[in-house]
Amino acid sequence: MRSVDATLPPVPGIASADVLIDRSARTRFRLGFDRAMGWLTPLLFLVAIVPILDMVYYVSLKAVPHLTWTIITGTNPYEANVYLGVPLYTTFYVIGLATAIAVALGLFGGIATAELLPEQWANAARTGANLLVGTPSIIIGYLGYLGFVLYFGWGPVFIAGVVTLSFFMTPYVFRTADLAFSSIPRHIREAALGSGAGPSQYIVRVGLPIAFPQVLTGVFLAMAIGIGETAPLVVTMQPGVLVPQNLFSPAKTLTMVIWENFQSPLAANQVLAFEAAFLLLVIVLALNVVVRVISARYQKRLEGLYQ
Amino acid sequence: MNAAAAPMGGPVMSVDHLTVTAKTKKVLLNDISLDFPPNSLTAVVGPSGCGKTTLVRSLNRMTELTPGLRVKGAVYYLGQNIYDRRVNPVLVRRRIGMVFQRPTVFPSSIYANASFGLRLVHEEEEKVDVAVRHALTRAGLWDEVKDDLDRPALSLSGGQQQRLCIARALAVEPRVLLMDEPSSALDPAATQRLEATMEHLKESMVLVLVTHNVGQAARVSDRVAFLHTGRLIEVGNTDEILERPKDPLTQQFITGRFL
Repeated sequence: MRSVDATLPPVPGIASADVLIDRSARTRFRLGFDRAMGWLTPLLFLVAIVPILDMVYYVSLKAVPHLTWTIITGTNPYEANVYLGVPLYTTFYVIGLATAIAVALGLFGGIATAELLPEQWANAARTGANLLVGTPSIIIGYLGYLGFVLYFGWGPVFIAGVVTLSFFMTPYVFRTADLAFSSIPRHIREAALGSGAGPSQYIVRVGLPIAFPQVLTGVFLAMAIGIGETAPLVVTMQPGVLVPQNLFSPAKTLTMVIWENFQSPLAANQVLAFEAAFLLLVIVLALNVVVRVISARYQKRLEGLYQ
Repeated sequence: MNAAAAPMGGPVMSVDHLTVTAKTKKVLLNDISLDFPPNSLTAVVGPSGCGKTTLVRSLNRMTELTPGLRVKGAVYYLGQNIYDRRVNPVLVRRRIGMVFQRPTVFPSSIYANASFGLRLVHEEEEKVDVAVRHALTRAGLWDEVKDDLDRPALSLSGGQQQRLCIARALAVEPRVLLMDEPSSALDPAATQRLEATMEHLKESMVLVLVTHNVGQAARVSDRVAFLHTGRLIEVGNTDEILERPKDPLTQQFITGRFL
């Protein structure tokens, strides 16, 4: 085999347009620009994650030294600084019900938008979802307060918070479901319809398995956002001390614990706020890991589909 | 096979002990050596998965766009190894153009599609007009589209779109055009027109045509290279390979297709 460098550069007798080594100023600039961007992009990424890392560090610093199992398992609901078990349970309770509602609304809405609705309706729905995502959570909370707490007369109870929170989460599920179904290559849809599947059969048998990893990511994203949400809950739920007994009980989530305690002059209450914040961080992190693992497993089956 | 020593009169391109390995350690191409003489059309044939597409993609460093592929050996273009570290892959792809299986026009006008490559090299306006017309003529599309070059390219038929893709590749005046099953998505009439375009183009440049259609290879090619499981089984003039194949594998493949 000929050695690589022996033949380059000078090859006598070929036209300049055929020379493949390019040392022109423009090309050198472009290559330099590419390289600079290759460094700049990760650098800017680092700048972007510094505040996040700082927050994780600060919360851990404040919370970890006081961390014991009794924070979760302590039994006396009135001994505030050792008792996060009830708010932790309530958080899962609230988020579980809110996710169920958000998935029901968002998934059906997203699929209908991507597959069934006429173009104008679909675009109207997308605009609505985008507006809802852009709405500050305190405004959603206020609407929930006006609607469920006052107008429906439910009062500041568990179910009012759950429904308000689910309205906040729905557009995230909606958008990923819409996007996942819209980005399925057209020939796959045509192949399914061409083999005699009806639209609903296509959606259930072909579309959903393909869109599943993306939809799942959207659902978990909505959960992670919902778990961290405070504003819609503090205005629609009366903070309870006990686990909610029924849909019309008072209830208190971890975020509400933080809200109540982080500005307290008492050091013990501040510790409680940081413990709650730490628990939330762990939950959100765990959710992210779970969604990565599950969607990676499903994504593997789909390799090659989008080529 | 001595491209490096004598670029003038020698092959325009030559492949020298080329081995391509996938991330999974699977050998896609195994020690291929092959010459492409000037003004010729070489058809690369073989059963599915034999490495035809990998071979043409490695001729203009498109393999780099597939993560995990490792290329060993050399591909010479007029005596220059295109895998040399100092070679600019953009210049490689300008001299060695490529047309793909599915017609892939960009969602803009016919004119914008045909002039796409020229815009990348910042060619002057008047030159672009001339080059677009020249490229569309060579691709055999000019007469059909000359009245309305501002029409959306997506409004063309599949065969016209594929010839527009060829014109887009030709506009930057490459010496080599690689075609990866360009007629597999076209009907017989469009295929016939495409083949006429190829006949015309091979008088002035090197064409490499991947095809799974032995009939097409017989109609348009001067030389045939037969690949099987990543190995080059045999290469030679089309008449010889198709009528008197030396290797039983080639024999099987050809007769299987002709039956």
